[in-house]
Amino acid sequence: MAVPAMKISLQEIRFACGNWRMSAEGTFLPGVHIVSGDVGSGKSTLATAIAGLTEPTGGAITGEGISSKMLSFQFPEYHVTGFTVEEECRSWSRDPDRVLAECRLGGRSGSSPLRLSRGELKRLHLACVLAGTYDLLVLDEPFSALDVAEKERICRAISSRTNGITIIFTHEQAVFPRTDYLWEIQEGRLRYRGAVPGALPAWQHAPAAIRDLIAAGKCPHNITTGDLLEAACRT
Amino acid sequence: MQDVRLRVASAAILSAAAFSGIPGAAGAFIWWIAFGSRGISGKTLRRIAAPFILIALFGAVVSLTGGPGLSYFSRMGVIILVGSWVYDEYRPGEFMDLSVWAFGDGYGFDLGMIAETGMQSLGLLIADFSRIRMALALKGLGKGFRTLVPAGAVLIHVSLARAGDVAAILAVRGYCKGGTYEPEFRAGWSDIPGIATAICVGFFALAPVSEFFILYR
Repeated sequence: MAVPAMKISLQEIRFACGNWRMSAEGTFLPGVHIVSGDVGSGKSTLATAIAGLTEPTGGAITGEGISSKMLSFQFPEYHVTGFTVEEECRSWSRDPDRVLAECRLGGRSGSSPLRLSRGELKRLHLACVLAGTYDLLVLDEPFSALDVAEKERICRAISSRTNGITIIFTHEQAVFPRTDYLWEIQEGRLRYRGAVPGALPAWQHAPAAIRDLIAAGKCPHNITTGDLLEAACRT
Repeated sequence: MQDVRLRVASAAILSAAAFSGIPGAAGAFIWWIAFGSRGISGKTLRRIAAPFILIALFGAVVSLTGGPGLSYFSRMGVIILVGSWVYDEYRPGEFMDLSVWAFGDGYGFDLGMIAETGMQSLGLLIADFSRIRMALALKGLGKGFRTLVPAGAVLIHVSLARAGDVAAILAVRGYCKGGTYEPEFRAGWSDIPGIATAICVGFFALAPVSEFFILYR
């Protein structure tokens, strides 16, 4: 039996709120997608719509072959339902010992999740989310409030997802997971830049390090820290 | 109605009129249809649905215990409509204008700032609550009582954290009390007719007009 093709299609969708407008069209295929854009460009609005939680003002969003989806909000507090860290892990149907060891919060299982610092809560939340298997995983600013080491760990976890569609909405400029496709929101419209690495020269929100590498004729194979180092050391 | 002073005065008069009895509530309702219902949207209806359900429940209980439940529902319903109109018409900075105009740069400034931060927090609370509901839905949790407690706890936590941030920013910027501010007011075509008819409604609802006519006869 053939596995149904998995995809999310945005058909001329539009958002409007007062004077603010945004439109989007395109298809998200399996792999890791990065959607970059300035603050206030509509990344979170688009993220909630793609996750099926809000309706665009116009147009349609259709999904094929997607039976499970998850959206991680930028602020992890919104997801909290447990009164202790252990309860919070169980509310995601996760093994607390495993999750807490992974996010280095062992010994805090009895604490209130809302007593954790923003960074600790983000670590806990992402560990719970990334321990699940979803056909569609939408991450809204997953790297905010995390230090570089933690960002690298989250990137490894995202890169290890072998199937499904992962869409990361971010204005991160330093640490990225292995990425398949680049998108960006510019002048009120979602624009598809293409597959990595071919899309890198056209990426308007590219970090300075990537722009400098491309200018030096050393286009990286991907945008992970390892790929950028390899390109920088290339002779 | 563009001028916040006339808008707040109209709302105060109409609320008092509606609270005083059914004739006042009817007058205030007609006023609301004429001046306040134009900007009503689906968002407004969703926002006022919960308080309407609440007063309907109270009204039903009052009726079942032999009290004037229908009167209570009608009067409170009109007050909610008028309050919702004031909220919809609000533009950031207006309560600062009003407060400084009324009470000066000392207490007026402080009161205005409290009102403005309160209005800002209200908007953020609504947005937070919407996100929390989405997050709970993603976890497969419904809208029942079981989710009310964690959602409330998160809302309180987020609000307190935000209030702490605002207080810290104000302290860092050297705020102690009062300040200088130049209030500005706008004018619109419906300002004078609106306040004039609101005063009429208030006069007929609150003044002992019927007693006067009895004496006159």
